[in-house]
Amino acid sequence: MQTPVFIDQLPDVSAVVSHKSGQYRHQRNKALLDLLLKDHSDWQTRSACPACGQERGKSRSFSHTFMDFQRCSNCNSIYAADVPPQVVLDNLRLEQINATEPGKDREFEFISLLNWISLTEARLERSLDSVLDVRFCTQAPDWQDTVQRQSRNRSWHFLPLTPDDGTFASLKAKLRETNPKAVLVPAEMDRTADPAMLLQVIRENSPAGTIVFVTSSCADGLEYEILGADSPSFIPLDRLTIFSICGFKTLAEKSGYEILETSTPGRFDAVILERYFKSADNADIPFWSGFFREADKNRLHDLQILLQRSLKSGVLRFLLET
Amino acid sequence: MTLKAAIIGYGKMGRIRHDAMMRHGGFEVVVACDTAIDPNATIPMTTDPLAVYDYNPDVIICSVPNMMIPDVVCEALARGKHVFSEKPPGRNSSDVRRMQNAESAHAGQVLKFGFNHRVHDAIEEAKKVIDVGTMGDLYFMRGVYGKAGGENYAQNWRNDPALSGGGILIDQGIHMLDLFQMFAGRFTSVQSFVQRKFWTEVPVEDNAFALMKNADGVVASVHSSATQWQHTFRLELYLRNGLISIDGILSASGSYGAEVLTMALNRPDRDGNPSPNPESQEIRFTEDKSWDKEVAEFYDAIAHGKPLRCGTSQQALDVMLLVEAIYAADPEWNAQLKADAQIKAI
Repeated sequence: MQTPVFIDQLPDVSAVVSHKSGQYRHQRNKALLDLLLKDHSDWQTRSACPACGQERGKSRSFSHTFMDFQRCSNCNSIYAADVPPQVVLDNLRLEQINATEPGKDREFEFISLLNWISLTEARLERSLDSVLDVRFCTQAPDWQDTVQRQSRNRSWHFLPLTPDDGTFASLKAKLRETNPKAVLVPAEMDRTADPAMLLQVIRENSPAGTIVFVTSSCADGLEYEILGADSPSFIPLDRLTIFSICGFKTLAEKSGYEILETSTPGRFDAVILERYFKSADNADIPFWSGFFREADKNRLHDLQILLQRSLKSGVLRFLLET
Repeated sequence: MTLKAAIIGYGKMGRIRHDAMMRHGGFEVVVACDTAIDPNATIPMTTDPLAVYDYNPDVIICSVPNMMIPDVVCEALARGKHVFSEKPPGRNSSDVRRMQNAESAHAGQVLKFGFNHRVHDAIEEAKKVIDVGTMGDLYFMRGVYGKAGGENYAQNWRNDPALSGGGILIDQGIHMLDLFQMFAGRFTSVQSFVQRKFWTEVPVEDNAFALMKNADGVVASVHSSATQWQHTFRLELYLRNGLISIDGILSASGSYGAEVLTMALNRPDRDGNPSPNPESQEIRFTEDKSWDKEVAEFYDAIAHGKPLRCGTSQQALDVMLLVEAIYAADPEWNAQLKADAQIKAI
């Protein structure tokens, strides 16, 4: 297994915690609040960590705001103690996406995904000429346009986000129909009620040797370690499971995958923390408060690369093989 | 199948090869030869290179100074032995041709030279990515390989041209040139500056700069240095769709750092033009497996008849011709050598 480091320019801090993303948080939290006020007898209670399986009683509390979130003391993953049915989650997500105005240009991020596939194909010396995109085409509406312009050498299949009863029947059907060489899952693992089921469906409906590209938020990221539930990235409805590297590795192996590559290519930890410490009057954490208050852009860049090299940034990528 | 091996030249390199053969498991080292017997050696030793044949080895590992390589290699081939020899393959292209002739005369024998940089993990990974075609056509390469002289630099046989054939270029820079040729084939046009700046008491270069071009127009520049106070290995390859660089090389000294392979595909803007500073993917290699891979390839060539990919005598000849072309391309350097020779004659 390799652990590459993805190095890129540091994002502008305004792109990280903008007015718009604040509005997004409010909308998602309002949706969650509405949900909580309704009957939630159909919610599923997680009695164990969804990543490594350690019983919930051994976990420690991560957050009680809106929902109970636990932090696994074995693998460090963060997870909601109770999760709504998948169909409810999908409907809320679709409502949110449909209500959202076109956002910032994400071409930068999209090309990173496309280049990840291309370099993987080269390094594995294996043609990945057909790729199935799982729901990202709905989550990021501009994605398909970028794919059509910048990735003409592959045939792409898109599975849009539709309300699912938790069995991922449409994914099963699409996998069997398209028989892709690669499956791209950039925005599902942390939002899905049952990530183990999602992994299982992909593996059981793909031929051996299928490459699965997974991206998700990462609980090992410095952002989560320092800010905990105060992290601006922590939006409960979008982060029902925040995997640690160890946690996702355990789950993937348990699901029968071979892990080819692990990385944490997140670019935002340093700028998020800088913004937090420069704006929060009462934030006084030994070492870090001073570090971020005095940090210039170069120091932040160096820190972000160190976090990536140490597998400690707030986004994880896994390359799996069925 | 266990191959009985004799090591001629049981210094640092001979011992590295010995260890690699032991790890491989397909070899039994039956004897080693050097100028002095090591009382702590775990194998029989001799000071007579011909005495190793009394042990009836299947293979000869040749880890001797450059000027002795052709004699050792040709003798071994003539006696029906397979040969693994260190680089450089002698002192010049005549030495290589002599060994090639011996190889041709004994077609059943394997002759491999130790150009181990080809099989370093980062280099192999880069080659793989380029060969697949994702990166597109190769445009140019830049290589820097240098060290701060070395122990007893002035007294070392490596810096006596009669024994070594040249200075830092033939000793260390030859690896970079070999890699250039692995990626781009033979170069047809060469320009150079060869200098002796710091180590003035030795009659060989301590810096060589060369610019070369192959028939397809791929340009490469190399700087081989013995005044690189900060030990450096850096190879950059720029291609149509991106770039690859290798910083550091795992070595016995460890002074060149870990091998860091950086790959980046261009990030096109909406018009399809490359934006500057694309996201790069960096992979770090920390374990030098090159010695083991070389020994394994040598073994497979003998035991299983697999053709050699790295360290063939043709590759050795090609790189030696390139070394000679770089030396020959700087008229000032050649004038200086001539003047040195005249002073020595007086």
